[in-house]
This record gives sequence, C-alpha cells and structure tokens, in this order.
Amino acid sequence: MTLSARDLVCSYGPTRAVDGVDLEVTGDSILAVFGPNGAGKTTLLKALSGERRPDSGRVFADGKAVKGSDPEWRSRVGLVSHRTGLYTKLTVTENLLFFAALHGVTGAATAAEEALATVGAPELGRTRAEALSRGQRQRVALARALLHDPDILFLDEPFSGLDPSGAAVLEIILRARRSPERIVVLVTHDLRRGLRLADRVVVLRRGRKVLDDDRAECDAEALLGLFTDPGSRA
Amino acid sequence: MTSLRWIGVIAWKDLRAEFRSGGRIAAMISFSVLACFLFSFSLGSLVAGRDVAAGLLWLTVLLASISGAGRTFDTEEEDGAFRHLLLSPVSRHAIFLGKAAANLVPVALVAAFTLFALTLFFRIAAPGSVALHAAILLPGAIGLAAAGTLFGLISRHSSLGDSLLPALTFPALVPLVFFGATASSRVFLDRPWAEISGPARLLWGIAIGVVAVGALLFRYLTDD
Repeated sequence: MTLSARDLVCSYGPTRAVDGVDLEVTGDSILAVFGPNGAGKTTLLKALSGERRPDSGRVFADGKAVKGSDPEWRSRVGLVSHRTGLYTKLTVTENLLFFAALHGVTGAATAAEEALATVGAPELGRTRAEALSRGQRQRVALARALLHDPDILFLDEPFSGLDPSGAAVLEIILRARRSPERIVVLVTHDLRRGLRLADRVVVLRRGRKVLDDDRAECDAEALLGLFTDPGSRA
Repeated sequence: MTSLRWIGVIAWKDLRAEFRSGGRIAAMISFSVLACFLFSFSLGSLVAGRDVAAGLLWLTVLLASISGAGRTFDTEEEDGAFRHLLLSPVSRHAIFLGKAAANLVPVALVAAFTLFALTLFFRIAAPGSVALHAAILLPGAIGLAAAGTLFGLISRHSSLGDSLLPALTFPALVPLVFFGATASSRVFLDRPWAEISGPARLLWGIAIGVVAVGALLFRYLTDD
C-alpha cells in the first residue's frame, strides 16, 4: 500500500498552513511528521486523511485519488486526535459499540473487549468516559481507532496525556501494525518517541517541508535545529 | 449496514446521552409549562382559551425548540467526537437524520406537555380530539426538529453562536407555524376534518421539505 501527496496546499484565509507539500509513504512503515507549533502538521494530517479538502494538490492511496467523502475511503482510515472524541455521558463500552456499529464491525462486543485489552484497559468498559483521566481517555481513543482494523492509522499527538506505561503500550501497538498493507502516520512534538518509532521522517516549518528522509539518516539534535533555524538543511 | 440502521444507531446514542445529562429536555419542558402559566395569568380573564390556545401552543413549542436547538451538538463538540463521527463511513444524510430523529423526542415531549398545560391552565373543557392534535403536532415537531438540527450546526460554526439561531429559524419556520397554528385552531374549535385536512396536508409537505433541505444542506456544510 502507498499513500502519497502531490503539491498539497491548505490555507486558512491568507495564511498557508500547508504550502506545496509532496510526500510518499509505503506500507510496512511509520511516517513521523515533526515541526514547531503552527507548522501545519495537523492540517497536513487532515488533508491526508480526507477530513479537509486541500485548496490545491491531491492525495493518492495506491495511485487512486482520495476523496474524503467516499465512505469506502473513510472505512479504511483510523484516527487518534489530541482531543479524544469520546461521548462523555456514555460508558467506554457504549462508545466503542457505537463506533463499531458505524463501521459495521461484526462481533462488535468481542471486538470492543479485545480492543480494550490491547490498549491495556480491560477494566474500563463500564466506566463513563467523563470519569476517565486524560491518559485513560487516550487509551480508549486508541482502542476506538483500532476497532475496525484500519489500513491507515493517523495519530495526532497520541502521546499527550499518556503515562509511561500507556506510551509504551502505544509504541508496541504501532510497531505491531507494521505490515505491507498498513501505514501509520504520526504527528508529534515528542522527538524522542517519534524517532524511536519512525521509519521515515518529515519536518514541516511554516507549512513547508524542510526535511523528508529515512529515519536512519536523522539525528534528534539536527531535527531540533530545523524547528528553529531557517538556515539549516532546507 | 443500511442507512436506516445508521440513523437508528445515531439517534439511540444521542437519546441515551441526552437522558443521562437531562438538562436540555428539563429546561425545554420547564420553559413551556412556565410560558403556559404566564399566558393564562395574563390572558385567562380576557379571552376564551379555545380561541387563543392554538397560537400560544405553536409559539411556545417554537420558542422552546429554538432554545434547545443550540445545544443539539453539545455532546458532539464536548470532546471533539463530531470529527470522528464525520470520519466514519456513515453518510452525511444518515448522520443528519439520526440527529434530527433524536431531536424529535424532546420537541414532541414539549408539544405534548404544552398542549396539556394550556388545556389545564385555560380550563378548556373540550380541547378537541387528541389524535387530531397529534396528527397536526407530529409534522410540526418533525419540521422543528430537523430545522433545529441544521441551525444548531450552523450556529456552532458561526462566531455569532446561539444568537444567530432565532434570526435563522424564524423566517424558515414561519410557514410551518402558520399552517400548524391554523390547523390546531380548527381542532380546538372542533371543526370537521374537511376543514382541518387542507392545512394539515400542507404542514406534512412543509415538514418533509424541511427534512429534505436540511439533509442536503447538512451534507454541504459538513463535507469539507
């Protein structure tokens, strides 16, 4: 599987949040997108997932142009965002069963139990989402994203709020998802964790791609320099 | 999964969350009962209840619906769940119809409570057939619920917020309220079905139109 973008441009009024970005990710790999605040990371992720229509440029999956309104495309996508997106008045199981129903997951109850066990939170099923800590909510959000076994998993700051054990579980899950039919796109400020997971690294600054390289070629100190130093490696 | 099942799943989720929080329905019903009490207090000695009940009924249901419409998307926005709902393979039409179906329950409850409260406070001995009132109020509630769902979304994404709701809803719902009040007034006055059926049919047509236009516009507004 491949996911690629050609000359993506996304603007908010006069501001170009994503400015002519090209990229390509192949299956069996994790792409980490880094950048300072306001670099356009979340907007890029929204454009790649089909949530936001780019002003120009296209996104392709396996060579076919992605249309965000296409239900078949949306059934292939999973998302973990920095807001966990749970219905606070529903229990964790009710939340998972609801999204499982939307995705047409067969054996939804079993799938929900398994997803909760996978993220290390099997005891949370009967708890209302409003009673969960930030880290627990993030685990449940990850369970929801995995429920329908998406081909492409988009994660926007997934480590925020997770305790060290939660972050470790997330790393294990993401590594386990490496397969030729699957892609993980990770947007994060956490250079250390991001680099540990990534096979490919993209750095954005002011909407422009300033680095696109294999993980093996990247050094954390140099990446940090790219966040702030306009003169380096563009 | 069929659209019908999706609609059911979304409506059931909304209603479950709604009844657990409880605030919106209680506020809407309290408003309607209080309004009926105040109407009877100020008008009860001046006019016959049956003459004004239809107008007061529709005015109260309209205002209560608008007051509740602004909170239609509270559960979706609280923790950013709407983004995930839109990213699911469910059609935009099914999302709109599911949310409108869930919205119908509080509006229908308000209509029923208002009818009961007006009959009680104005001491209307023979308010007309309950089945006929239901046949008039149901399309009205459907139209109000659909419009409330659409305008709730618009007001959420406008910097003017809830203050925009009355300005949006009143012009769009004038025909609904006009034909609804006309039909209800004939039921209160115990007129024959031949006199009621005309505005009742128009009311159903308008309600279906509001639902159809709402579903189309909802798709347009949420497809980015």
